Amino acid sequence: MSLLLQLLVNGLLLGGAYAIISIGLTLIFGVVRVVNFAHGEFLMIGMYAAWLCAQHLGLHPYLAAPLVALLLFGLGALMQRFIIQPLLAADAHIQIFATVGVSTALLNLALLVFGADLRKADFALGSQNLSLGPITVVSGQLVTFVVAIAVALALHLFLGRTHTGRALRALAQNRNAAALMGVNVQSSYVLAFGIGAGLVGVASGLLAVQYPVFPTVGSYFVLTAFVIVVLGGMGSLPGAVVGSLFIGLIDSLAGFYIGPDFKELVYFVIFLVILVVRPTGLFGLGRGSE
Amino acid sequence: MNHALRRLAAAIGFGIGFGCMLAAPLAQAQELKIGALYPFSGGLALLGDESFRGAQLAVEERNAAGGVLGRQITLVKADAVDANQAVGEARRLTSVEGVSAIFGSYASGISSAATQVTELAGVPFFELGAVADTITGRGFKYVFRSNSTAKNFAERSLEAVFKVVGPALKADPKGFKLAIIYEDGPYGTLVAGFQKEEAKRLGLNVVEAQAYSAKSVDLSSLVLRLKGAGADLVLHTAYQNDTVLFFRQSAAAGYKPRAVVGAGGGYSLTDTAQALGTAMEGVYDIDFPQITMNPAGAPGLNEFAAAYRKKYGVAPRSGHSLVNYVGAKAFLEVLARAKSTDKDKIREAVLAYRQPAGSNAAGWGFQFAENGQNVLATTNVMQWQQGKLVTVYPEALATAKAITAN
Repeated sequence: MSLLLQLLVNGLLLGGAYAIISIGLTLIFGVVRVVNFAHGEFLMIGMYAAWLCAQHLGLHPYLAAPLVALLLFGLGALMQRFIIQPLLAADAHIQIFATVGVSTALLNLALLVFGADLRKADFALGSQNLSLGPITVVSGQLVTFVVAIAVALALHLFLGRTHTGRALRALAQNRNAAALMGVNVQSSYVLAFGIGAGLVGVASGLLAVQYPVFPTVGSYFVLTAFVIVVLGGMGSLPGAVVGSLFIGLIDSLAGFYIGPDFKELVYFVIFLVILVVRPTGLFGLGRGSE
Repeated sequence: MNHALRRLAAAIGFGIGFGCMLAAPLAQAQELKIGALYPFSGGLALLGDESFRGAQLAVEERNAAGGVLGRQITLVKADAVDANQAVGEARRLTSVEGVSAIFGSYASGISSAATQVTELAGVPFFELGAVADTITGRGFKYVFRSNSTAKNFAERSLEAVFKVVGPALKADPKGFKLAIIYEDGPYGTLVAGFQKEEAKRLGLNVVEAQAYSAKSVDLSSLVLRLKGAGADLVLHTAYQNDTVLFFRQSAAAGYKPRAVVGAGGGYSLTDTAQALGTAMEGVYDIDFPQITMNPAGAPGLNEFAAAYRKKYGVAPRSGHSLVNYVGAKAFLEVLARAKSTDKDKIREAVLAYRQPAGSNAAGWGFQFAENGQNVLATTNVMQWQQGKLVTVYPEALATAKAITAN
């Protein structure tokens, strides 16, 4: 019984890590309608930034997280302004190629600057074990989970309650209609892309405590994040959170009861089934929204 | 005036052209071209280049001693980043450059692809570093390998259980509950496959054998399985991130096996040890001979290290240069003994070549089987002690005694 409980807790906490990465991805997709294949490399850059702060300023990655978020906000905004925006009128696959190009360039830049070695920031806070009865968790995982949920709620409120947030949602629904209603499309896109990238910055600070950083670290997380975003319904915030927790639980339970080499198989099969039954994902807005 | 100038120019041009035609065959007669096919760019570049350095040192040493067949050896570099490029570069070496043989290749995928080309072209391929057993298991006549294979990694890891881990823990190896875990790519699958066979043959009690994706970001359920099965000895074949993840999540779950034996990969790298800190203390690792082993069992090791430092200004970055050096040196001697660049004469000379075990800088010997594999190439058992990887077995090469962590 306590073993099952431990597996459930492990799964949910892993889901928290996925959630904070997926939220940004789904926001960018939902508003700008661009599949950002450089998302993983944003995460990698953020983790290197957090590691550099730890190495040279002695800053704990949790404290560095806001700085890293700002840095990535800037990077995301620049990417939207100078790479995606000129291509907005082009075919979707042209934009995809552009983001894949950015991803490859950033990956190789990191290889050039940092080499293939793996770097790790070492801090006690975030890596000690907490025991709650028979359950053991790593404190950093708990922090990541709590922050992920808090950030998702905050973003939800921002999108629902503020004028800017409503403008972003209007854009997500119909770009032309939103423009006719006086929404500044281009600056809103820059803002949305920036926020999406900034959220990855927060994720970087949180994950840098638990995971070492190396040039390809982004691809370890982002393939799963893509699955989550499609599973939850592309562009859906609650979908991304629920999808993350769901994938986290499957990862943990299937990894134990079926076998660690089959866990991907299990969640890709479930993924396929859900897509067949509900092509727009769990929280998708119905046909045509994808 | 103009006319005279033009005639002069034509005369000079002719003279240069003719001179070149005369000089070219002369230069060719003097040099013996050997290809050096390694990944020099891309993700494998660092260790590809490290491997090449070993071959380069062997060639320079040989050239200084008069070369082979009275000719100086020239290495023709070929950059093979992946299997596709390996095919293209092998074609270039065999048909355009006209090399007499090829040294390579660090990575098994690159070697497998390149040898398909060289075998058809009838150019001997000397593999100095790739470990997949299949490279010499395809019935090719002109593919020879000096280094040890994945099977040797697996056999050594189980030998380590009996000869090193058991005695260090003062326990009967047959009483261990053994877990074999591995990344599910070709590397992990190959090594673990041999480990499973060997463990069965030796009558060991394997309680878990599990593969996982090296790109996994969570191994907690794997750790819980091992903990549940009470596995107290773990054989692990892994890359870097999964090694780090396994140790961190084992600590988080309160799982502490009595010993962990890694098979190269992430277990051999200093930055893995740095990322893990004290958790790596006492962990065993099976890998190629390293520069830090005892030179008493590896004559020429110190000379190699000195030559390397002299040429590149740093200490060898890994054991890859050493094994490439030893292999290349042996194959150059084989070429000299073949007294010809004819492929069948070379094959004959390879099969006839003998060097007793423990007679070279890697601590190996040479004796080639019909499939072209050197049967006297081995791996060593090493252990992380205070942040350093020291050799603990075989005794002749050991620099320290095995310790027990906890």
